[in-house]
Amino acid sequence: MSAVTAAGPFRWLVQLWAVVVKEVRQTVQDKRIMALIVIAPFLQLVLLGFAIDLDVDQVPTIVVDMDRTPESRHAVAALMADGSLTAVGTAGSPSDADAALDRGDAAVVLIVPEGYARDLARGEPTQVQVLLDGTDPTRSGIAGGAAVRYFGEQGFSLAKQRLAAVAPDVQISAIDVRSRLAYNPSLSTPIYMVPGIAGMLLLIITTIVTAMGLSREREVGTLEQIRVTPLPTAVLMLGKVLPFVAVGLFDVTLALTAGVYIFDVPIRGSMLDFYIVTSLFLLTTVGVGLFLAAVSKTQQQAFVGAFLFILPAILLSGTMTPIHAMPDWMQPMTLLNPLRFYLEAIRAILLKGASLSDVPVQTAALLVYGLLILGFASLLFRKRLD
Amino acid sequence: MWLFLTRVGAMAGKETLHIRRDPLTLWLGLALPLFLLILFGFGISFDLDHIPLAVVDQDNTTESRELRQLFTAGSEFVFAGALDNPDDALDAFAKSQAHAVLTIPEGYAAALSRGENVEVGLILDAADANSAQQALARADAFAQLASAQAAQRRGLDIAGSMPVSARTWTRYNPAGRSALFLVPGVTAYVMALVSVLLTALAVSKEWEQGSMEQLFATPVRRAEIVVGKLLPYLGMGIIQVLLVLVAGTWIFGLPTNGNGLVVALGSLLFMVGMLGQGLLISIVARNQMVASLTAVMTAMLPSMLLSGFMFPVENMPLPLRTLSNMVPARYYIQVLRGTLLKDNGFAELAVPLMLLAAFATLMMVVSTVMFKRKLA
Amino acid sequence: MSASPAIVVDKLTRRYGDFTAVNDVSFQVEKGEIFGYLGANGAGKTTTIRMLCGLLSPSEGDAIVAGHQLSKNPERIKRAIGYMSQKFSLYTELTLKANLEFFGGAYGLWGKALRRRIAEVVELVDLQGRENVVTGDLPGGMRQRVALAGAILHSPDILFLDEPTAGVDPLARRRFWTLIRSLAESGTTIFVTTHYMDEAEYCARVGLMVAGRLPALDTPDGLKKHFVPGRLWVVRGPDLLTGDAAARLSALPGAIDVQTMGAGLRLRVQHDAPITEQTLQQALARPVEIDQDEANLEDVFLAVVDADSQQAGTAKAFGGS
Repeated sequence: MSAVTAAGPFRWLVQLWAVVVKEVRQTVQDKRIMALIVIAPFLQLVLLGFAIDLDVDQVPTIVVDMDRTPESRHAVAALMADGSLTAVGTAGSPSDADAALDRGDAAVVLIVPEGYARDLARGEPTQVQVLLDGTDPTRSGIAGGAAVRYFGEQGFSLAKQRLAAVAPDVQISAIDVRSRLAYNPSLSTPIYMVPGIAGMLLLIITTIVTAMGLSREREVGTLEQIRVTPLPTAVLMLGKVLPFVAVGLFDVTLALTAGVYIFDVPIRGSMLDFYIVTSLFLLTTVGVGLFLAAVSKTQQQAFVGAFLFILPAILLSGTMTPIHAMPDWMQPMTLLNPLRFYLEAIRAILLKGASLSDVPVQTAALLVYGLLILGFASLLFRKRLD
Repeated sequence: MWLFLTRVGAMAGKETLHIRRDPLTLWLGLALPLFLLILFGFGISFDLDHIPLAVVDQDNTTESRELRQLFTAGSEFVFAGALDNPDDALDAFAKSQAHAVLTIPEGYAAALSRGENVEVGLILDAADANSAQQALARADAFAQLASAQAAQRRGLDIAGSMPVSARTWTRYNPAGRSALFLVPGVTAYVMALVSVLLTALAVSKEWEQGSMEQLFATPVRRAEIVVGKLLPYLGMGIIQVLLVLVAGTWIFGLPTNGNGLVVALGSLLFMVGMLGQGLLISIVARNQMVASLTAVMTAMLPSMLLSGFMFPVENMPLPLRTLSNMVPARYYIQVLRGTLLKDNGFAELAVPLMLLAAFATLMMVVSTVMFKRKLA
Repeated sequence: MSASPAIVVDKLTRRYGDFTAVNDVSFQVEKGEIFGYLGANGAGKTTTIRMLCGLLSPSEGDAIVAGHQLSKNPERIKRAIGYMSQKFSLYTELTLKANLEFFGGAYGLWGKALRRRIAEVVELVDLQGRENVVTGDLPGGMRQRVALAGAILHSPDILFLDEPTAGVDPLARRRFWTLIRSLAESGTTIFVTTHYMDEAEYCARVGLMVAGRLPALDTPDGLKKHFVPGRLWVVRGPDLLTGDAAARLSALPGAIDVQTMGAGLRLRVQHDAPITEQTLQQALARPVEIDQDEANLEDVFLAVVDADSQQAGTAKAFGGS
């Protein structure tokens, strides 16, 4: 008396389709989730892209010119022309400038000593003092470097001139660095950041949505209803995950498009390679979501769990700061982080035109981690159902 | 007054009991700040460190090897191997084997011995613009040093008798360590995140379960509920600040020479503002899911991105800079960096302290008013 | 249809640590029967049903459901059974039709066959015209019918209902039971748990669970005869609850027990006790209204629980040395 049902592998397709349709309908119903997965990523990309600008220039500088000669004024103007520093004021004495540094009005104090022009004329060594606010080491490093380099070059060429005057036949060689900036000649930070942000968003969205979607079914009791049907757990999970994999791929595409149009991010490699590694990475994020759904009883726990996974994963991935700048004991920890390999791979593909064969370690790592995590989570999920 | 205190005390006692019974809250409240401190403190560093440098030595002389050693002697560059051809640089970049390639041309040593100018090539993987920019500056400095050494080798001491030079004195953080810069920021970020999230969740849970309505049936006044609910979280916040600062001192060697009173006042004002914001969110959202998402959007992201914690505010486009003026974490970071690193006192930090106080007052007033209105 | 039973349960046991939720339970359910499973909350009803549906694996024992052995072939069982739990496990944010399409798909129904079955069950549960209503917006009684519709989409041989009418108003409950009976008449075996005694009366046979065991199983009439033997009288009148009225009744020859019932008293006597309306009037020595009454399943339930706790008490007394 049973109704006619599909048989064999075709039955799985019917079942899978039913789950996918249901999942899509549920998502479309909930405007908050729609906003979370479609609009928020776009806004965040734009916000982050503009906010994360690590270029240091125009560091506010207070000039204490105690010499007040054309030479001293020329030196200050030439240094400011470089662009790293910008004069925001002058002070009569070093102690006034000191107070300004304390207040945070400026980050650099440039002190030209009295007798600067005179000493130069006499051939006596003179020294300019640069007082740096070291709270932000990056900024102080660059500001100090700019001053030291400028006066160093000045000193070097003056020394050469003097030597030439004394001994015309002796030459001094200068070693110049002729630099070439590959991939990013304008040194724009967003070009580096956009792939990082895209990976971060992909991680956040697919992990949270998978974890919360499954734990919601459990909380509401529909999971139990499903389990008395002949729907295999694997088909259920696949069906639940597929729509969000699609959303993840959509978000990444959206982020990338925004990156290309707003921040001039280049796409030098093959998009196919890009989507292949992205799909491999999704194995991990979905697996982690599934794992969280298996171990948490409520949506709240799933959310907190996702949060506790995502934060360290982002920090230890090189999204914002390079891994090689981390302490030695911390660097090996990043090898456990699939996001690290994903970012390396997509940065190489997008920015450097690499192909999959250029990033074999990263691709293999993503595949291995993905299968391990997803496999383990599926086993755990099945076990926890009983 | 006495009645007010007993009621507030009762509310606070009840809330404390809740916190103690809920291991998740305790965990989030006490262990998470430390965990984040360590993670951020070590994990985030803008120091130019260990950039893998590949070398194409076409000269292969003592001098060229010395140049290579000069570049890789410090911690900025590490030697990542030799390449045959500068054209292989891009390949090495694509495989992430090197981030910079130094090319020393044939005839380098010969040119130096004749006193002729010579150019060395530096190809940088500039995808990471920040690292590339710093690497460039360092390379220039190394080249200058190498020129001086070359002259010295020929008996011409230039370095010792430079007619003009600049001498830098770095104040507040002489070793230039990122951790010192970041720890105050991490403190502010963690406080913002944890306090807003915790209060938002705790209070919206009470809405969801309907126990808030129950409270209104008692003669406890609104302001008493607000104060009573927030007090335990304030206590927890104070423990968090102490914990993070002590850990920062031990682990990262954060100097403790600042004015403790200013730190305490700033922390208190900031905490009250953050708790008020959490309360406000819970009143508006009333549902845990929405409350947690709103907390993430309004507290976690701005406190990380627009506070100057990691990314300097000065570099941002005007709209974001304007927005950052409204982020209290920005002022709290200013207070912490000012006192702890720069030994500032009340005089220098009056403005940020006042702004923190204003934010705290605003949040408490608005949430109390909203709270009353919600019931009417 | 063969004559083999729809469900054969053999020494089914489920333990959670030290606690035994279901203890060595055996019974059979015939094809097309409405089988009621009665018990207090926590007696083990839901645990039994969850084991039979393959949601929970038994610690010991086995069962044959719809001709398939539980321990060997749980997947085949799932195709042959429908299950409706005490919580309405529907997607409240989806429409009726979307819910049915999903559960139909889960059973492998598709295309025309699925559409036809949806139309059939919607008509059966009398919800035509509400296919596009979001189920969360439906009143409780209708939601419960949607859940039933979802459980019978694939025309199961056996339908498991776990407290299907909890929290539903009396009118909707009656309507639901009409549906259940028509399903049983068309050949579906119904296995239903409930704690409404009036609902149990609808069942062909009733099993009574107490603390994980099944001390009683029979037709409702058989249960009453066995556990509540004798005749029942109800006495109504003034001042029966105060004074010695109850004591006087219990003193009558052949009286078994006396309970208060509203403002009156309910007396149970042995079948052969020489008691008539007159003897009662005389015993109470005041004008009262007297009616004959019948035992109900609530009496049975109380009697079984009583007998069981006495037995347990005895066992304890002997066991504790």
